[in-house]
Amino acid sequence: MATFETQQLDEVIVNSRRKMLALGGAALAGLAFAGVKLAEAQAAPAYSDSDILNFALNLEYLESQFYTLATTGKTIDQVGIGIGAGTSATGGGSVVTKPGGPTSCLVPWTLPAIQAYATETAQEERNHVTFLRGALTSAAVAQPNLDLFNSFNTLASAAGIASTFDPFANDLDFLIGAYIFEDVGVTAYSGAAPLITTPAYLAAAAGILGVEAYHAGLVRTSIFIADPDGKAGLQGYTQDISATRMKLDGSSTTDDIGVGFQTVSVEPTGTTNGAATIVDAQTGSTNYSKTYSRSTTQVLKIVTGSTNIPASGAKYTGVFFPNGLNGLFS
Amino acid sequence: MEKKLTELIDKALTRRSFMARSGAAAAVAVVAGCGGSSTPAPTPTPTPTPTPAPVTLGDSDYLNFALNLEYLEAEFYLRAATGSGLSATDTGNATTTVVVPSTTMVPNLTTAQQNYIYEIAQNELDHVRFLRSALGSSAVSRPNIDLMNSFNAAASAAGIGSAFNPFASYEAFLVGAFVFEDVGVTAYHGAAGLLSNTMTGKTYLAAAASILAVEAYHAAEIRTLLIADSVATATMTATLVTPNPTYVTYAQQISKLRGTLGGGNETTLTALPPYAIPFVPTAYMPASTIVAADTTNSIAFSRTTDQVLHIVYAAAPGAGVKGGGFFPNGMTGNISVTAS
Repeated sequence: MATFETQQLDEVIVNSRRKMLALGGAALAGLAFAGVKLAEAQAAPAYSDSDILNFALNLEYLESQFYTLATTGKTIDQVGIGIGAGTSATGGGSVVTKPGGPTSCLVPWTLPAIQAYATETAQEERNHVTFLRGALTSAAVAQPNLDLFNSFNTLASAAGIASTFDPFANDLDFLIGAYIFEDVGVTAYSGAAPLITTPAYLAAAAGILGVEAYHAGLVRTSIFIADPDGKAGLQGYTQDISATRMKLDGSSTTDDIGVGFQTVSVEPTGTTNGAATIVDAQTGSTNYSKTYSRSTTQVLKIVTGSTNIPASGAKYTGVFFPNGLNGLFS
Repeated sequence: MEKKLTELIDKALTRRSFMARSGAAAAVAVVAGCGGSSTPAPTPTPTPTPTPAPVTLGDSDYLNFALNLEYLEAEFYLRAATGSGLSATDTGNATTTVVVPSTTMVPNLTTAQQNYIYEIAQNELDHVRFLRSALGSSAVSRPNIDLMNSFNAAASAAGIGSAFNPFASYEAFLVGAFVFEDVGVTAYHGAAGLLSNTMTGKTYLAAAASILAVEAYHAAEIRTLLIADSVATATMTATLVTPNPTYVTYAQQISKLRGTLGGGNETTLTALPPYAIPFVPTAYMPASTIVAADTTNSIAFSRTTDQVLHIVYAAAPGAGVKGGGFFPNGMTGNISVTAS
């Protein structure tokens, strides 16, 4: 019950902030005041900074497993990263991999640059797991059960890409797999940052947000380099995935755009020019090239592929998190 | 009621002060102005005191600081894309100038390269417009900007050469863009922690976080394109591919210079090591360095406003620097003089 109320409040905060940002200026100040009244009317938040960090930790377990499997053929616990509750290294959930086990997830790389990018990203995502577990210490949640096999098939099917999809098959499929995660990480940290009250945690969250955005920029640029005119189909896949994410998170306005093309109108003449969409943000008014934020509930819907609100006390489950996330925001 | 509050916040945001300060001393930003008066704030008059009272910096000061950086980036990318900079309206009808080489539209670009440049130009133009809109009447106008002598001096200081024109070619443009983007990330990261804990501050924080993210997308894009270009122009033998290190090395030299001026906070971009033909992935497992972040916890770097000033002014550590580098006469607004 408390969790559901928290989610609702969370969505109100994110949605009202969207409106503020869209309006800007004086209207912004007015809405800010409305926000104050809202906050006063509500009881104190039913969550703590630890709950938010644990939500992030669930996502980092998922990302670090994906990249570590792709680059080493091992799970993160096999390379010495703790996945148990609190400071315990063991006792976390399991990971569903390709039928051949972790070693079968090692991507047969043919593009040295993509391999090097993946190796870097894997290290950074493992560092995020270690950092968050270190910050949370005894409060850290264990790794939940994860699925990195059926999940991709389900999502690919939902996105209309194919009935099955193996992100570990080759360099380019790996990029598409990575694409599924990175922009979501950006919007999740962006949505969570303003909810954090401890300055040190806020600074850390902003810093991890920055790194997730670096990763997203890296993946999207690499996809554009591999498919600069869209004819190889990679751009189309990203657009399908973005559309699916938008459908899942239930946003009434655009909050996700794939890699592709847009028309911009820069100064001085107002003529239009073709541009890429490396950044996941709409240009021009009213969004003004700012990335989007998602509430924890919207992120839950995406990573579990579930749009139905579960019964009171039950978790969002499915896709990457077959038994749901661990912690309050689940 | 909302109108009154709007007036009060506007009043708070338009407060001016006479001495710029920055850095940790100003870490607690306060938007005061919740008093009862709805009369306009009086125009402040400089007081001839030998020891001026310290200025309390507020949210609008940090946004204006960011606006200066966005003016700089927008002028750079717009000129690279179209040969022309911001229109008068978008500068606050500034009477200032932008010093640039005679030709700035980057020549001989492929369609894909144009697509990259136009997107970033539009993004930075949007950020100028967003910040000007959010700040309203408090927005500072564009300061004098130098995109020619600044790059020559930076190239000289970094050991690249006595002159450097970032508009001369695609690769030169990437190096020029490299100068700005990682700095933007660290500046927004640092500023995010300075915004007040008011609703206005929280709103600005959300916007700052979103712009931080866009700067990081750009930074990754530029770094990835530099690596991709080094592979595309690699030296090849029958058995070995050696990526061209030229422009990655320039980026390294700039990184080192920024680190010296701006308190470290750099991850050096490294070229891919040579690789064998045929490629054997299990014998080749380097990690790239696209992300600029602390190596232990992989959290992106943060800089104080003072560290950012030292970089964009191309000024060695020390207090009292009022301008130089990309801003020959300094930034506009209350954060414009180095404090240490």
